Amino acid sequence: MPATAEQIEQDLLRPLFQSSGKYWIAVAIATSLLLAGVAAFGYQLYSGIGVWGLNSPVFWAFDITNFVFWIGISHAGTLISAILRLTNATWRRPVTRCAEAITVFSVLIGAIIPLCHIGRPWLAYWMIPYPSERHIWPNFRSPLAWDFFAISTYLTGSTTFLYLPTIPDFAAVRDVSTGLRKKIYRVLALGWQGTPRQWQRLEVAMHIMAVVIVPVAVSVHTIVSWDFAMTPVPMWHSSIFGPYFVAGAIFSGIAALILAMALLRKFLHLEQYLRPIHFENLGKLLLTMSLLWFYFTFAERLTAWYGNSPPEMAVFWESIRKNFAPLFWTMVVCNFIIPVPILAIKRLRTITGTAIASACVVVGMWLERFLIVVPALEHKFLPYSWGTYRPTWVEDTLMASSFGMMALLYLLFSKFVPMISIWEMKVGLQSHGGVPVVVPAESRPVLEGPQ
Amino acid sequence: MAHKWGMVVDLDRCTGCEACVVACHAENNIPTAGEDQAARGRAKHWIRVERYWEGDFPNPRVRFQPVLCQQCDEAPCEPVCPTYASYHTPEGLNSQVYNRCIGTRFCANACPYNVRFFNFYNPEWDKPLQLQLNPDVSVRSVGIMEKCTFCVQRIKAAEIQAEAEKRELKDGEFTTACAQSCPSKALIFGDLNDSTSEVARLSSSNRGTKLLGELGTKPNVTYLERGTWDNASHG
Amino acid sequence: MERRDFIKISALSGVMATLEGCRNAEKQFIRFVPEEELVPGIATIKPSVCTVCSAGCGLLVRVMQGEAEVVRRGQQGLIKMGLAKKLEGNPQHPVNQGKLCARGQASLQMLYHPDRITHPTKRTGARGSGEFQTINWDDALKEVAAHLGTLQASGSAHSLAFLSRPLSGQRVELISKFLKVYGAPPPIWYQPFDEAVLRQANLLSFGHAALPTFDLARADYAICFGADFLGTWNSPVAQSIGYGEMRQGRPGRRAKLVQIEARMSQTGANADEWIACRPGMEGVLALGIAHVILAEKLAPQAAAARTGSLIAGWQEGLPGYTPEAVEKQTGVSAAVIKRLAHELTQSGSAVAMIGGPPLAHTNGLFNALAVNALESLVDKNSVLSFTPQVGDVAPVQASLAALHGLSAQPPQMLFLYEANPLFSAPPALHVREALAKIPYIVSFGSFIDETSAQADLILPDHAALESWMDSVAESGSSRAVVSLAPPAVLPLHDTRPMPDVLLGLGRQVGGEVAKALPWATYDAMLRAALVPLRTRPGSIDVKTDDDFWDAAQTQGGWWSSPSISPPVPAVKRAPLSAVSPQFAGAAADFPFYFLPYVSQSFGDGSLAHLPWLQELPDVLTSAMWSSWVEINPKTGDRLGIKQGDLVEIASEQGSVRAAAVLSPGIAPDMVAMPVGQGHENFTRFASGRGANPLSILAPLTEQETGSLAWAATRVKLARTGGPEQARLVLFAGGMSGFPHEEQPR
Repeated sequence: MPATAEQIEQDLLRPLFQSSGKYWIAVAIATSLLLAGVAAFGYQLYSGIGVWGLNSPVFWAFDITNFVFWIGISHAGTLISAILRLTNATWRRPVTRCAEAITVFSVLIGAIIPLCHIGRPWLAYWMIPYPSERHIWPNFRSPLAWDFFAISTYLTGSTTFLYLPTIPDFAAVRDVSTGLRKKIYRVLALGWQGTPRQWQRLEVAMHIMAVVIVPVAVSVHTIVSWDFAMTPVPMWHSSIFGPYFVAGAIFSGIAALILAMALLRKFLHLEQYLRPIHFENLGKLLLTMSLLWFYFTFAERLTAWYGNSPPEMAVFWESIRKNFAPLFWTMVVCNFIIPVPILAIKRLRTITGTAIASACVVVGMWLERFLIVVPALEHKFLPYSWGTYRPTWVEDTLMASSFGMMALLYLLFSKFVPMISIWEMKVGLQSHGGVPVVVPAESRPVLEGPQ
Repeated sequence: MAHKWGMVVDLDRCTGCEACVVACHAENNIPTAGEDQAARGRAKHWIRVERYWEGDFPNPRVRFQPVLCQQCDEAPCEPVCPTYASYHTPEGLNSQVYNRCIGTRFCANACPYNVRFFNFYNPEWDKPLQLQLNPDVSVRSVGIMEKCTFCVQRIKAAEIQAEAEKRELKDGEFTTACAQSCPSKALIFGDLNDSTSEVARLSSSNRGTKLLGELGTKPNVTYLERGTWDNASHG
Repeated sequence: MERRDFIKISALSGVMATLEGCRNAEKQFIRFVPEEELVPGIATIKPSVCTVCSAGCGLLVRVMQGEAEVVRRGQQGLIKMGLAKKLEGNPQHPVNQGKLCARGQASLQMLYHPDRITHPTKRTGARGSGEFQTINWDDALKEVAAHLGTLQASGSAHSLAFLSRPLSGQRVELISKFLKVYGAPPPIWYQPFDEAVLRQANLLSFGHAALPTFDLARADYAICFGADFLGTWNSPVAQSIGYGEMRQGRPGRRAKLVQIEARMSQTGANADEWIACRPGMEGVLALGIAHVILAEKLAPQAAAARTGSLIAGWQEGLPGYTPEAVEKQTGVSAAVIKRLAHELTQSGSAVAMIGGPPLAHTNGLFNALAVNALESLVDKNSVLSFTPQVGDVAPVQASLAALHGLSAQPPQMLFLYEANPLFSAPPALHVREALAKIPYIVSFGSFIDETSAQADLILPDHAALESWMDSVAESGSSRAVVSLAPPAVLPLHDTRPMPDVLLGLGRQVGGEVAKALPWATYDAMLRAALVPLRTRPGSIDVKTDDDFWDAAQTQGGWWSSPSISPPVPAVKRAPLSAVSPQFAGAAADFPFYFLPYVSQSFGDGSLAHLPWLQELPDVLTSAMWSSWVEINPKTGDRLGIKQGDLVEIASEQGSVRAAAVLSPGIAPDMVAMPVGQGHENFTRFASGRGANPLSILAPLTEQETGSLAWAATRVKLARTGGPEQARLVLFAGGMSGFPHEEQPR
């Protein structure tokens, strides 16, 4: 635990002013992945979605899997940050901004993906409800239209939720910067002076956002799940999908958060801030979600098997013991069999342990999305038109580039915004039970280094 | 009364000759996928003849089942299209509005009959095969969904002609390309709201069933079950 | 104005080119003046005749104005012309009554095929190298005429041969007369699946050397031995129309279909009862059924007086064909044989049909005669009849014997028209070697295929839709049918109609030939041949020849009033005893019967160049763009062959490889392959694709007619690779209840 407020500021502002070689290498790798994706997308725009592996009847595969995956990851931030704020869990302080950042960026990626996977992306704006000269509006009955509203609301909300608590930190950067940087951060700080009135307004605003963002987050992923559940496709048309997806989203979100924190801790030397206790607590949350995920999966599969409806059983067996069995059981290993012992046994619930468990969960949850989408589409009601699916390099590249984009956004974020909320850490230091303390301007150090 | 277009597929008459499949390709400018694309599952047969085996040699049995867009009254493909490209016309057709389609492919997933097809690439015809294209039917470009339209171009042409001549449409005056070619008359198309039409009469046959009717899609295609030959009835 | 005049005008008066306003000289598109008047957007419907099989269905062609890139007088440009958009059946035509099969629908692609030969061409490289150079018509015709003249002058007129696929109508007359008067032998009609056996059997049994006509709407029971009558055999559209009526066209009366074959055909898939019979033993089975009928007096013996007399033992009640004896030979149980006999005779009226594989054995004639006898016994309602013929011209018969003649004594000059023996005749017949010995080969076909690639000169014919079409229906109607149609569209390329070219060559040859063929153009010859029909009772009732000619063109032909066939006198011929089928290849080394079957998509292979047909999923296997071998699943299990594996079939003659398809509809000791793929050279769509089962057939023949016994080859089977090598393309993904069919990953 850092000793003083000055120490906090120094540690948490340092990444904004100094970068190691490793940082730039990471940026370079992430950028090239992103550019590869842009090139692949350009090729796809030019030729058509035929460059993917989709066919009749598998019209969605990697595209929707990645979309759901990233929207799922986004539940890290809001839920951790919002719920932990609402429940006043003080250990949350170093975690909140990392989490909120993950949310914003993954929602952004999740919002971009559908724009890239429709057949005529240049007409995507038709999903926006605007008074068109043709007097035609989007079809509000469509779950995709719901997605549009839900995701744009969530993106707006989570950006706000990320931005609000960052204002005091922007002010902190402003106060130690000069020149152009100072101008930029002055704009970002919105004139924050740290007066009690401003603090009070901030607290109220954040409280409102925390309360509001929870139902938004829940509804977003429920609506995303209804992209599947609102069709008659066997094994899609299930009322469990709403809660199942939300639970899975939180699950994958926490895992992503743990991984991000582990990396940040190592590369930004935040050992004093992101301490084993945080990983332990998040690890316990992850354990809870793993058990919950297992419960939902088991309940869904058992009811399907018990119901014995032939179309559903065809899809069921595909995953359990036929062509998708290897992927399915890998998913179970990744989501349950490996994480639960690691997270349940205190001795194993270390930073490394939780990171390993989280990595498995991220893989497992991607597989879960894939296994929901593809086996069902491959085996709908009329066996004559069953099909198969294999991704092509274009889909692989686009997927890799989404990870590259995430990494790049996160890396850039860490360069421009303190990854850990400075003022919240200071508040924690004061141990005033959550009441913010104003740190006098004179005592803020001026940092050396490139401006 | 407004027309309500429907079709009857008589499984006892269908011989599996697939004349309907080729007739549909010729009428509706459906691009040929070619071997590679067909191998990747992108052949577009708006009407297909499904074949199911039952039993083993020496008593195998085969069932043929022509499947085309059922033009469902409660089509699952219609609510899910975000841009209203999949739209129900007042005459009971499930219409695919090509220029409104942005290619989300949601409708194709929602369709339980797998009768919707996507243009994965821009269609091409080796010259001069494009001279055969029907000028009454749009050529669909890349990124657009397509499916059986009940030959809406023929419906429209007949309606316009009848209106110009200030008369009602007669049953059998025109028909879809598939029904027109079918040698055994297994496909009957017409106005379900015209009680004197053949399709209306056959739709109420006690041999009639709906494909996947239990899903509640309310298809406007009625399948007449294959008959059986009973020794006793011909004694 | 006559269309003929349109063509003349465009050919003679040259082209008036109008230059469009242009900026870039290179991008100028010359616009030729349209040669006909069409209203854009309004369709004109014109009759025509379908040529893709022997049925001769009547077509209606939907013609609409469009813009085409053409070459006129060596200049490339655009022209607005009538374009054929869609084919339908002609509702007035008695054979197909407004309906059309898949192959008929697809034939439209022959007109606008990208690999159509567009100009006369002359060989410049070695034979078969594919190196051709465009020449103009005048030079080309001069060259041919010169050859003809030289041949005649040197007393070798007998050394001219004409090899063609079987044609119908006045083209037959034209070619035959040309050759006869010139001094050459009659034309060689060749197609791989000729029906010589059935025609001979029908001549013996019924007095008509013709394919049979079945009015299935009059039947209550149909027992069919091997004929794919709903798919590809005889007159499939007419038969399918009758089938529909037979099933659901008569309220309260539904006929039963029993199909007897060793491999389930598309027709067999529709049967109420499908019975597997040992290959080549179908005749014995028919006689087993007849035995029961005769023994139990279920039908009057006199009903089959003529047909029965051709079978040894008939008068005695077929003592050698007891159900138990027949069961041993055919594999069909005695109980079934008895039951069939009862069902056949208890129904209102039955019909027995035979075609396809049972006739393609060395004992094919016997099988046919046996079924014909059964047919007479059970057909109380004249379900079987024969289409009346006009004139004395018998339907053209393809024969292998004539092809033998070509091999035995290669002529000095050969005219070739759309026959492809290099693809479809067994290599053991040495057609390739024969062609190599022929110094001068002229082909009229529109496409390069294996055989026409050997030509020295190509004089491309118009497409059927660009030509004056006529044909005479050999079967499929109770009326005499003469189809007739003027060209539906103007010529797209620099081609000329083959009949007109022959007439022109006749004039150039001069002498008797020119006298015998005095017409300037083919339609004049047609008119002369058809107007005498005006006085017969039929579909056109007018007073003048001109009116008749106009009406016939509008209607799509002329057909007689329905007539009853006159009774035929008895025939004197020694009755035939049962003959066992012979097979090529010892059963120990070649354990499987091999069945190459006429494909629903490609017919005999001559339609493999049409992309719609390549992409048409075979209805039983759903295969597209592929070759495959049908194997019984138990055989597959035994030999370790899974769905989609690459397998090799080898006969004594050679071997082919294709993907395996496991099918419950084939006997465990048989393998089957569709005919049509395996072209080395047949346009971009068919070249180098799949395997040709005809290439491994043994040259066994039916013992009496000499027809190729294409079902008489035995083969062995082995797995040689996995699905990645076989590249089978299936449209169907899966099928509940038949686990073998799921696609391997």
